Amino acid sequence: MNFILHIICVIAMTLPNILGFNLIFGKGKIFHFGPIGVSLIAAYASFLTLNATGSYLVAIAIGSTFALLASALFAWLSFRLDPDGLGILSIAAHLAIINVVLNWSSFTGGAMGIPKIPRMPYLDSLPTFTITVSTIAICWIIFLFVLEHSAFGRQLQALAEHEWYAKALGINRIRIHMIAFFIGGIGALLTNIFYHQYIHLVYLSDFGYPVFIYFVMIVVAGRPGSVLGVTLSTILIVTLKEAVRFIPLPSHILGPVRLLIFGVILLAAVWVQRDSLFPKKRTI
Amino acid sequence: MQLIVNGLIAGSLAALMAGGLALVYGVLGVFNLALGQLSLIGGMTAWWLHGPMELPLLPSILGGIFVGGIVTWITFECTVAPFYRRDRFLPLVTTIAWSMILDAFILLVFQEYPRSILTNEKHFLDLGTVRFSLEQLALVLVTFIFISAVAWMLHSTSFGRKIRATVQHADAARSLGISSSFLHRVVFIASGVLAACGGIYMGIDQNLTPTIAFPITIKAYAAVIAGGKDNFWGTILAAYLIAMIEQFAVGAPWFFGAYIPVGYQQTVALVFIIVILLIKPSGLFSRQLRTT
Repeated sequence: MNFILHIICVIAMTLPNILGFNLIFGKGKIFHFGPIGVSLIAAYASFLTLNATGSYLVAIAIGSTFALLASALFAWLSFRLDPDGLGILSIAAHLAIINVVLNWSSFTGGAMGIPKIPRMPYLDSLPTFTITVSTIAICWIIFLFVLEHSAFGRQLQALAEHEWYAKALGINRIRIHMIAFFIGGIGALLTNIFYHQYIHLVYLSDFGYPVFIYFVMIVVAGRPGSVLGVTLSTILIVTLKEAVRFIPLPSHILGPVRLLIFGVILLAAVWVQRDSLFPKKRTI
Repeated sequence: MQLIVNGLIAGSLAALMAGGLALVYGVLGVFNLALGQLSLIGGMTAWWLHGPMELPLLPSILGGIFVGGIVTWITFECTVAPFYRRDRFLPLVTTIAWSMILDAFILLVFQEYPRSILTNEKHFLDLGTVRFSLEQLALVLVTFIFISAVAWMLHSTSFGRKIRATVQHADAARSLGISSSFLHRVVFIASGVLAACGGIYMGIDQNLTPTIAFPITIKAYAAVIAGGKDNFWGTILAAYLIAMIEQFAVGAPWFFGAYIPVGYQQTVALVFIIVILLIKPSGLFSRQLRTT
């Protein structure tokens, strides 16, 4: 039973960040490859503040400020660079952030991370934690589903399909993309606030490049831009990831086998959707 | 002076890898995010042949280059050829998937230990205040020869003219009878061979670990973007510039004689490139393409 609750918790905690990234990369077709960089900043800002003040309220306030600032930085990069340049440089920015956190160990804890993170009041038991994160995840899914079908969703899609035509129709790219990045930032904050208190630790390995590939895989497998599709793929892939633990293999083989499985899934997902992943611009 | 020599050594490695990428981007218009893994496979194969198999150095290097080329060809056929004509951004995702598969392969076959091709076999040379190994000197010279050969090929052979024509206008080049699919394969495999050479270079100069694959890829692409994407010479210059910045960032005293810690070496170079591109998004050495 506890294992099932654990899987539900992991899925519910993962969803806000993945769906935020799906809004930017999947729906907006913006090659923002730095969502894990935003997560890292949100997590460290929140939990360093929590350690200093002991107040979750202050920690969340500071964490959300930093998450929004980091999102604004990546949005600014996206306005200045063309898509592939943004893809590479957002990864470069992510690497630079990791490097700073790793080397500024007197402040961030370096490779050891931030240990002994207390949980929020009333979230000590697994059932309460599961109910709380599941409720938040469901609210987030509904919010993004409504957003996807609103004028904002249509404007974001129009910009993704043909930016010039969309601009000619009066759609403000900077405003729409900035909102998308901010929503992604809030999603990153929600995931990180709960995930790290769940495991009682902020650990730098949780923000590496493989985590980003895992995000891309879930979004691509679930059909980019689709809230329900990506939710379903998150459920399936997180369950698969957790289930792989039970394969009776030594740990030094299990890690590469997991990489292999996910690499093949991502390649197969792109193969299946090769005509629809980046659809051709509509023409008359 | 030592910093300049260090920059030349590091820059030669970056130039070797980024030069091939600039050609690939110019001709195919795609990014290959499995580049670091391809370089590791070349380097690890050379290590395996020279270390456990006890072959002499030269055949081991040739073996590493050969295997790197073969794996690059497989990479092209599996992750680029079926996708890039549909959308040039698809290979960006497929090569990410391929990098995971290659990472798994490297971890399973070569494991997560640092591997050095030349262990305790280096011969150092002291020239006043400058110190470097003969192997490093050889590597810098080989890189220079490689780059010169590519320059000669690009500017003095019919194959090079075909490449330049395709870079300038792919459709016009195709209408003149240039076989783009053959050209694409050759250029892509050449970039993989250069990456494998880079991996062998690293294995000789320092050591190889699976974790370095990704930063190698990003630094090489940072050079390509900073240099002006399809500008081969711009990329080479940017690769050397990034390496020099990395060396001077941590090797030279800054404010009040303080030094930047070595751990921030990579960060300084990446932040510098990001700032430069925010000021000049088309790259430092971008040029106007011919249009009708």
